Amino acid sequence: MPGPRALLGLGLLAAAAAARAGGRCPERGWSWGRGWNRSWGRERGWNRSRGWERGRCLPRRAMHGPSAGPGPAGLRFLGQEEAQAIDQELFTEYKFSVDQLMELAGLSCATAIAKAYPPSSFTTSQPAVLVVCGPGNNGGDGLVCARHLKMFGYQPTVYYPKRSSKPLFEGLTTQCKKMDIPFLPEFPTEAAFIDELYGLVVDAIFGFSFTGAVREPFGSILSTLERVTVPIASIDIPSGWDVEKGKADGLQPDMLISLTAPKKAAMHFTGRYHFLGGRFVPPALQEKYALNLPAYPGTDCVLQLT
Amino acid sequence: MEKELLEDYRFGRQQLIEIWGHACAVAVTKAFPLPSLPRRQPTLLVACGPAQNGAIGLVCARHLRSFGYEPTIFYPKRSPEPLHRDFTTQCEKMDIPFLSYLPTEVQLIDDAYNAVVDAVLGAEGSEGPEPCAAILGTLRLLRIPIVSLDEVTRRFQGRRHFLAGRFVPEELQRKFGIGPRHYPGSDCVVAL
Repeated sequence: MPGPRALLGLGLLAAAAAARAGGRCPERGWSWGRGWNRSWGRERGWNRSRGWERGRCLPRRAMHGPSAGPGPAGLRFLGQEEAQAIDQELFTEYKFSVDQLMELAGLSCATAIAKAYPPSSFTTSQPAVLVVCGPGNNGGDGLVCARHLKMFGYQPTVYYPKRSSKPLFEGLTTQCKKMDIPFLPEFPTEAAFIDELYGLVVDAIFGFSFTGAVREPFGSILSTLERVTVPIASIDIPSGWDVEKGKADGLQPDMLISLTAPKKAAMHFTGRYHFLGGRFVPPALQEKYALNLPAYPGTDCVLQLT
Repeated sequence: MEKELLEDYRFGRQQLIEIWGHACAVAVTKAFPLPSLPRRQPTLLVACGPAQNGAIGLVCARHLRSFGYEPTIFYPKRSPEPLHRDFTTQCEKMDIPFLSYLPTEVQLIDDAYNAVVDAVLGAEGSEGPEPCAAILGTLRLLRIPIVSLDEVTRRFQGRRHFLAGRFVPEELQRKFGIGPRHYPGSDCVVAL
């Protein structure tokens, strides 16, 4: 066999030969033996040792699930600024687009709803769901959620009073309309009407960027929703709540789907179902912010926390 | 149909690629569940071509990573499109290694990986320019299973065929004569 380095640098041939005999990674001085891609005496996944694939050894990282290092074992609840910083980093450093993450977020919400409120559990004749979408990204998550709910066999109806003109939102709206999801021209004036027509309400009004006072028409909408008796599933933050302190006299949803990681407001959540969604946070980012996210089951995009 | 999804239904291209890639990853996990893999590490080789199918492969690799597999990507001819570059960065930032070289000695690939995800060619044709033809030549000689993404069903002779298209609106399914499919639960793929 010709000199492996001459052929491929730290290529496959070198690794294959070394793997049988045991060898050293020149840069880091680590060694590997048979089963060379198993970490050296540590938990599986602590180390990616197939450095020959890049011509060098990869730095050690906690690759799967919660950080393997010391630190709080419990899940972290994020402050508003932290949540915004993580979001920013996903876009600027990790080069995710809003479209991508919104699609995954909306899918998570629909999946969580399908787990907690399967179509067969509805007392209305059809599994009718009202999705109330706010003006920003939380509303966008709601539009994606509505589309997936339709595909899962629900009958969603959307109320989207303040529509963003950005192409992303126009696209999402069109996708919903093309799937025959109706858009209400007006919000039901009485909570009783909502209880009559729908088995579930999805609150996609405000998310983790919400600050200040609630502007109309959302103030009236939230007052009505507060009197609704059918379950409400809130996306990321119960709308109207302070992102860190909650709101004791505000909306009391039955379900909360925290996206990426729960925010501090979630500590005040008293509903039956708290799900984690938005399974897209790269391990390095999880580690950087010490999120201590529990492992998602299998390929599920949601994890039930309570 | 893709044209209609983009123009009439106003899906974004990146959105579609994300949906497809995620669905493909889920299909892979159904065909090759983690506990069933023969090798000690859940390694997979994802071969990505220069066009859209390659981008779907990149997204698929990223989701496989988050599902606990250890994908390695071979992406020799990189598209200059910013969209595809972003998908590449997302994979790199998840510490997914990129091979600089695909060995012609197939035994090495058979030994290192449990399966190969072939995202080399899409609808463009059965033979592509170099290095696609060379990659496909190597893949044909492998003994480990190969999962092909998308349109290349004319080459398909394997055991497991999945449809990953739950997001396609019914009207479009009818129009293109894709029979209605029953997807189990909230799954985005169905075995055919």
